[in-house]
Amino acid sequence: MTAVAAHAAPFRLTGSGVAARGLAYVGLAVVLFLPWFTTDFSKTCSLAVIYALMGLSLNIVVGYTGQLSLGHQGFLGLGALVTANVVFKTGLPIWLAMAAAVLATTLVALALGLVALRITGLYLSLITLVFGSAITSSLFALATFTDNNSGVKITRPSYLSGNGDWYLVCLAVLLVVFYLDYRLTISKIGRALLALKENERVAEAFGIGVTSYKLLAFALSGAIAGLAGGLYTFRGELYSEKDFQDPNGFTLALLFVVMCVVGGLGNRLGVVVAGLFFGLINEMLDGLLYLHWVRDVVKHIPVLNGYYDSDVKASYLASLIGALLLLQTLIFNPGGLGASLRPVARWMTGHRFELHDTTASGPAAVEGSSVRA
Amino acid sequence: MTELAFGSSTPLGQPLLLGIVEGSVYGLIALGLVLLYKSNRIFNFAQAEFGTIAALTAYFGYNGKLFGIPWHMPWLVAVTVGIVLGTLSAVLTERLVIRPLFQQPKVILVVGTVGVLLAAIAVENLVVSATEPAYLPSVTETGLKDPAFRAGFAQYNVSWEQVVTLIVLVVLALAAVAFFRYSRQGTAILAVSQEPTAAATVGISTSRVSLLTWTLAGFLGSVAGIVALAGSPVLVPGIMTGTALVGGITAAVLGGVTSMPGAFVGGMLVGLVHQFTASYFSFPGAQNVAVGLVLLLVLLALPKGLLGSET
Repeated sequence: MTAVAAHAAPFRLTGSGVAARGLAYVGLAVVLFLPWFTTDFSKTCSLAVIYALMGLSLNIVVGYTGQLSLGHQGFLGLGALVTANVVFKTGLPIWLAMAAAVLATTLVALALGLVALRITGLYLSLITLVFGSAITSSLFALATFTDNNSGVKITRPSYLSGNGDWYLVCLAVLLVVFYLDYRLTISKIGRALLALKENERVAEAFGIGVTSYKLLAFALSGAIAGLAGGLYTFRGELYSEKDFQDPNGFTLALLFVVMCVVGGLGNRLGVVVAGLFFGLINEMLDGLLYLHWVRDVVKHIPVLNGYYDSDVKASYLASLIGALLLLQTLIFNPGGLGASLRPVARWMTGHRFELHDTTASGPAAVEGSSVRA
Repeated sequence: MTELAFGSSTPLGQPLLLGIVEGSVYGLIALGLVLLYKSNRIFNFAQAEFGTIAALTAYFGYNGKLFGIPWHMPWLVAVTVGIVLGTLSAVLTERLVIRPLFQQPKVILVVGTVGVLLAAIAVENLVVSATEPAYLPSVTETGLKDPAFRAGFAQYNVSWEQVVTLIVLVVLALAAVAFFRYSRQGTAILAVSQEPTAAATVGISTSRVSLLTWTLAGFLGSVAGIVALAGSPVLVPGIMTGTALVGGITAAVLGGVTSMPGAFVGGMLVGLVHQFTASYFSFPGAQNVAVGLVLLLVLLALPKGLLGSET
């Protein structure tokens, strides 16, 4: 009887409930808009947004199809390379250059997807690892693409010259990609990808075209990464291949994996939050050191006491925190940030606030589940 | 000893010899990878980094300041401490990361080793930036000095220490093969990898076997780090991962991921491919592309590798 009763009285939003949620959305919008007023901080925020985009890109491969990719810095870099060189050499408007970048990364991702049809699981992660290091060390370093090794300098159009303006562009792109990603997961394609991740053979038996959906997933992932690469290169108004070459590139590739796992595999909100977190972690550590008692404690820890002197050291600390968060998530909290944020996310989308959501079904219930080998 | 088997200075001799000595480092990394693949069915992305940990420790132990304390251990003691610490990091990885994730899908275990790799590099960076750089001479600089022999190798740009690397690899590879073929522990590792439940039923402790494999793999990685890095003027965190991980993985796959002799042969082949590409092609990153193509071709055309049978 109780179950029937629960169904008989569905949760309805009251007027105050709508108002509270509306207020929350306005607050979120204001917080997201605030960096526009700054110059240096908004540049960092642009990077954080680009990381979030890369998280969404990798999430399609790792979270939706369950294949580990360790070469996504290659796609980011390729996007940056194409965008910068098209603008530099032909003087085309940046939007066309970014479209070219998306086309290029999509094609390369399709090629990698073709490989992924034959080679799956752990072996594919090896292939992506080698792909990342090979493309960044060969193609990226060619003198024609680096303006004879000096780095390709480009400028944003005058109406977007401020760092804050570019931040808003990045943010807008992120919101659009986020929405498209949402549409993807609730569509036939999203359900097909989930079925593929769970069991390829069963999915095939039910008439899902493994080949086309896998290729589609890789192509989409590549397209988002190419877009992120374009945003990246215009953020610094410079294309430098060193950003994507080992050891930087390898660290970057691992960071993207960390973002996806810490955010919760397959959970787009969690991945975006994790991406923003890792983009801003240095700022947050700096902010923490404004507190006197934190300074006093850090001063006495042998390895960390030089923290104030060097930015380099701050990045080491950040990557240590990332690694520990990754391991913590894997072992203790496999759902990641996304699972922790789920009650809030459900409340924001007009549901009852419940810490332990028992009603989830469909694709949402599988989100955050682990990748399959 | 001025005359070697490759008497004349043909253009082939140099990359051939250099390839073999470079390949021995890949072979050592591949040995550890194969060992872990045999027991856990995963690739350990932190394998090469155990070597950096060992080498860094040996550096600081031999002639470095750590936390303001100057250390001056004898060479052999420093190297032993390094290998012990490198092995210990593998043991810790097994207990803290692999064990809790034992029942998870294999990809999760692999991501776990990626986490270990990241954590290791971050800790190394923090420690290295807190102290002064140091130098660890190679084994030949401290003991084996034979000017005549050195002169003989100088013709090919091959140093004594590279020959030592090769010898270490051959000895360890033979030891590993013998271990799996003749010892009870080696057989137990194989049994657990093939059927854990059945192995546990006949009284094999899967927990102990897992710890044993990781200890051995950590030891192999540490030795690889020491022989590859001793005598090199620069030692930056993550250097083994940057220089030898991809080569080692390719070597392991080329040899058929479950075969110890395969790892040895694979290492040699990757080293040769590396050196021959370096001497005949000049576009940037040619070596990486060549190794990547080899890996791709092997996986597509020869998924079991060259010696892919379980031994």
